[in-house]
Amino acid sequence: GWIQDKQGPMMPLCPTPCQCEKDGIFVMVDCSELGLSSVPANLSPLTTYLDLSMNNISEIQPRAFHRLHLLSELRISGNQLRYISGHALQGLHNLKVLMLQNNQLERLPDDAPWDLPNLLSLRLDANLLSEVPAGTFRGVRSLRHLWLDDNSLTTIPVTALDSLPSLQAMTLALNQITHIPDYAFTNLTALVVLHLHNNQIQSMGERCFEGLHSLETLDLNYNDLKEFPVAIRTLSKLQELGFHNNNIKAIPERAFVGNPQLQTIHFYENPIQFVGKSAFQFLPKLHTLSLNGATQIQEFPDLKGTTSLEILTLTRAGLSTLPLDLCEQLPRLRVLELSHNQIEDLPSFYHCSALQEIGLQHNQIRRIESQTFQQLTSLRALDLSWNMIEWIHADAFTSLHSLIKLDLTENHLSSVPVAGLGSLTHLKLRGNTNLYEAFSPDNFPRMRVIEMPYAYQCCVYGSCESYKPSNQWDTEQSNTDEDLHKRTVAMYPIHAESHYDPDLEEFQMEIEESKLQTSVQCTPTPGPFRPCDSLL
Amino acid sequence: QHKQISGVSSGCQQGGCLTCSDYNGCLSCKPRFFMHLERIGMKQIGVCMTSCPPGFYGTRSPERNTCTKCRLECDSCFNKNFCTRCRAGFYLHLGKCQENCPEGLVRSDTQRECV
Repeated sequence: GWIQDKQGPMMPLCPTPCQCEKDGIFVMVDCSELGLSSVPANLSPLTTYLDLSMNNISEIQPRAFHRLHLLSELRISGNQLRYISGHALQGLHNLKVLMLQNNQLERLPDDAPWDLPNLLSLRLDANLLSEVPAGTFRGVRSLRHLWLDDNSLTTIPVTALDSLPSLQAMTLALNQITHIPDYAFTNLTALVVLHLHNNQIQSMGERCFEGLHSLETLDLNYNDLKEFPVAIRTLSKLQELGFHNNNIKAIPERAFVGNPQLQTIHFYENPIQFVGKSAFQFLPKLHTLSLNGATQIQEFPDLKGTTSLEILTLTRAGLSTLPLDLCEQLPRLRVLELSHNQIEDLPSFYHCSALQEIGLQHNQIRRIESQTFQQLTSLRALDLSWNMIEWIHADAFTSLHSLIKLDLTENHLSSVPVAGLGSLTHLKLRGNTNLYEAFSPDNFPRMRVIEMPYAYQCCVYGSCESYKPSNQWDTEQSNTDEDLHKRTVAMYPIHAESHYDPDLEEFQMEIEESKLQTSVQCTPTPGPFRPCDSLL
Repeated sequence: QHKQISGVSSGCQQGGCLTCSDYNGCLSCKPRFFMHLERIGMKQIGVCMTSCPPGFYGTRSPERNTCTKCRLECDSCFNKNFCTRCRAGFYLHLGKCQENCPEGLVRSDTQRECV
């Protein structure tokens, strides 16, 4: 085959039936998906990129690449290779990327390892490796990225890893590793990312992560850990830790004392019952903390020094009180989810000025004081359903200018203060059997969905013809049309007649849309058996 | 420096497909292959690969193997927080692509790294 060279004469040495492309004086050769059973013979010494992936190559002849000193990337993934000797890869002095994933490799060379002094990325994932001989990596000392995931390893290849001082990212995921011994990664001082997810790790030595001074990401998800991995204590640079889907029952006191840089911790899907009160202290960069179903938690965790928390979820535990200084500790809180506890009294959330969502459903709250939700001007959703609330102070909601969703379902209310609730679009009051008042629509100009205890309370929302004289409802509707038109023109006088303005078009469409939503969906809907007149 | 020149054979001729349709390409992949939706004009074609295309990283799991976009400043990456090669104008240091290098290191435009 020949390469067409736009500027100069035809260049030889593009092996049939491969495709070649010039890159300056160099050549990039694509022989992928051609049904080849061996490496093409007449490859140009100026080849810098060679793709042999997705063929039927089961063996690499010795010295197959010995002339390719300039080769930078070699892809042999998706073939049937069982073994690659050290001699097969001779001559590849400049190789940086070697892709061997999706083959049938059962063994790696030990006595005569690959001599690839400039190799940076080595993919061995999706093969059949059950072990990695001690000497395998002796000739790839510059290696930075290593994929060994989706193999059959049962142990950490500790000795083999000793030869990789420059390694920065490694995955051993999807193997059958059951234990991490002490000092397993001692020489990997440059390692930043370590994936161990989807193994069968049940135990680990308390010193197993010694030496990982640069580690920022540790992924232990989907294993069989029964104890909290205290070995993480030596990982001072750790930022992201995952051990969700394990079998851990307790998070000890001062669990993360050695990890002040932690930003995210994922540990859901663990049967966690106990959490030490000081477990999550002094994590100034942590922004999310989720604890669900830890039934032995009786006291709210002490979050001293964990000042960046934005999302706190602590549900289905045994909390009965909240600390009075909760918001002083967590000034940046945006979402507070405390449902399914036994909370009776609420502190003032005054200093949590960034709060947008509060979930307190399924607790034992009885009263809402005036200062409980004061100054929460960003609060958008407040769920107080399934409590025992009998009384709400008249000023409790006055500063909640952004509140659009309020759920008071299943409480013991006989009245609800409406001051401050003008932005509501969703209000739920079902199940407050002592609440008979029919709230006027004027209180809720933006209301869209409202659930009332009784059907007759929906009649004020025009849900039944017998209550509302029809002409008043229509005329009322037409007035609003004229108002809207006048206000639009007033805002854009110059565009009123002469000039088409897309922004105005969009603005008018929004008005049209909002008009469609003026009809409020109020339930229970009045009907023959639920007349508009109160039966009492 | 690698350049993905191998065109992706569309429709059902791909080696990694388990189920496919001529219109949508691969609908599911053989075990251990990565499923990726390649945009060709207005269409999205399912493609099964042994490694994700440039600008994406692969995540293997027992159920399926997926390709996820790297950060904007990365040409290629190991996972969402660790780049292995930067876009032009960014320089790699310990998996991060930054416009400037830490003290003591200088920017190499050819390698796009802090050296």
